Amino acid sequence: MDDRWQRDVCAIAGVGQSAFSKYSGVSVTALAADAALAALADAGIDPSEVDGVVRNDMDLVSCAALGDAIGAGNLTYYGEAGPGGSGPCAMVAQAVAAIMSGQAKTVVVFRSLNGRSGNRFGLSAELDPVIGGAETFTEFFGPYGLLSPGIFFALIAQQYMNETGLTSEQLANIALVARKHANNNPTAQMYDRAMTLDDYMGSRMLSTPLRLFDYCLETDGASAVVVTTTERAKDLRQPPAIIRAVAMASGPRPQPGQMYPVLMRENPLSMPSRYCAETLYTRAGLGPQDIDSAQLYDCFSITALLQIEDYGFCAPGEAGGFIESGQLEVDGAMPFNTSGGHMSEGYIHGMNHVVEGVRQIRGHSSNQVAGASVSLVTSAPPPSTAALILVSA
Amino acid sequence: MSARLAPRVDDPASRGFFELAANGELGVLTCAQCSTRTHLPRPRCVGCGGKNLEWAAVVGSGRAKSWTVVEHQVHPLFPVPYTVVLIELDDEENIRMVGHLPGRVAVDESTEFVVDFEDLGPDRNGNATVLPTWRIATDNG
Ligand SMILES: [Zn+2]
Repeated sequence: MDDRWQRDVCAIAGVGQSAFSKYSGVSVTALAADAALAALADAGIDPSEVDGVVRNDMDLVSCAALGDAIGAGNLTYYGEAGPGGSGPCAMVAQAVAAIMSGQAKTVVVFRSLNGRSGNRFGLSAELDPVIGGAETFTEFFGPYGLLSPGIFFALIAQQYMNETGLTSEQLANIALVARKHANNNPTAQMYDRAMTLDDYMGSRMLSTPLRLFDYCLETDGASAVVVTTTERAKDLRQPPAIIRAVAMASGPRPQPGQMYPVLMRENPLSMPSRYCAETLYTRAGLGPQDIDSAQLYDCFSITALLQIEDYGFCAPGEAGGFIESGQLEVDGAMPFNTSGGHMSEGYIHGMNHVVEGVRQIRGHSSNQVAGASVSLVTSAPPPSTAALILVSA
Repeated sequence: MSARLAPRVDDPASRGFFELAANGELGVLTCAQCSTRTHLPRPRCVGCGGKNLEWAAVVGSGRAKSWTVVEHQVHPLFPVPYTVVLIELDDEENIRMVGHLPGRVAVDESTEFVVDFEDLGPDRNGNATVLPTWRIATDNG
């Protein structure tokens, strides 16, 4: 690969989160400010030094509004990435690009949503009896009742089961490990709610083969990180989480529109994460055997499972066996979503995964991997995706 | 089913699909130069990059590739339970359509489907709105 990526030039110097809840009672700008100010305080950077902001394309908070809310200085860089959950690692990548090109020096990257009390993803607010057009291509899906990400991922899960023989009892391990990790994380929404295999198997079927506990946890909350040069980060309050590599990928022929058209790809199970992994590992000079913790995007259990294969932790088609052999635990081959992730910490659309990747590097996770020095963080596949690798100094 | 969620039929990118449906045909964008099928529609052929693309009728039968029984209602016009099926067309490579069946329907990879056309009536601009729908094939077709 002819790649001019430069390793280790930028770092995450601070991380912050708002409270996570089912009803925040405050605006998304207020949540974003809570997270951004916490991240700046964590780094020991005064808000007036912020000269760049990167948002998610689905966020309701503009870069300028966030800058205004926290008392940033003149923003010389503002950008956004997405779509949606594919965004967070690409948002960090954009902050890196801004810093490396000299357009900013201190960039806040954030995601804020009232995901439970405000706009809920699973519910169709679309009461217009006509659907589609404007090159959304939902006219090919909505009239058949394919109207939520859950139904989409249920079709993906069923195809994977058809092809590999994955069982529900195997798939349960994703949710069970996430819950176990959340039970040690006092800020997780599911901190005090233990879960057994019987609880999982007995949970309500929402769209076969996916049950309630295969779904993420709609959450009100925000997460933010501060990106700056590694050189500067070394002099700040916290040990830096050095950005070894970032990568984005669409894969070939990603189809137009967003999520549902993925079903029309040459193979619906072929996610861009496979291409993203190749670029990421090449840029990092590392492979899956070097990863100390994997914070994988998990809007649904099946979403995380596909990435275990795509990022090379097991062979294609073998994730079912891999996840039932204890490999997702803190002492396993691929410690998984050590904050509880979307399924049990909270659904901050992939941004909380970046924060947890940093905690592992610092040794501050509530499910700390002994001696962790390399974190893998991924964002949503599909329709396109992004990922990053953090290393300790 | 009474009230229906209708497709928008007059978008420039996809209206050819619904024009063919109004004639009782299942349409897929097809390259006049290399015959490659391009589904979903694109501005250029995915095979050769050519611009001369036409909506052509394809076979109205296929087989289930994946399916889900939806038990949790997400839209007022879609009472649960219902079954969504991803159908791979016969005689084509990787061309898929989505089908809807009321209730919990047992489907597997051998389940065969045939297309029907349901007239949902004209849209607000008077365009015919005909939706290709799918039912499980029986021996007598
Ligand atoms: Zn062609």
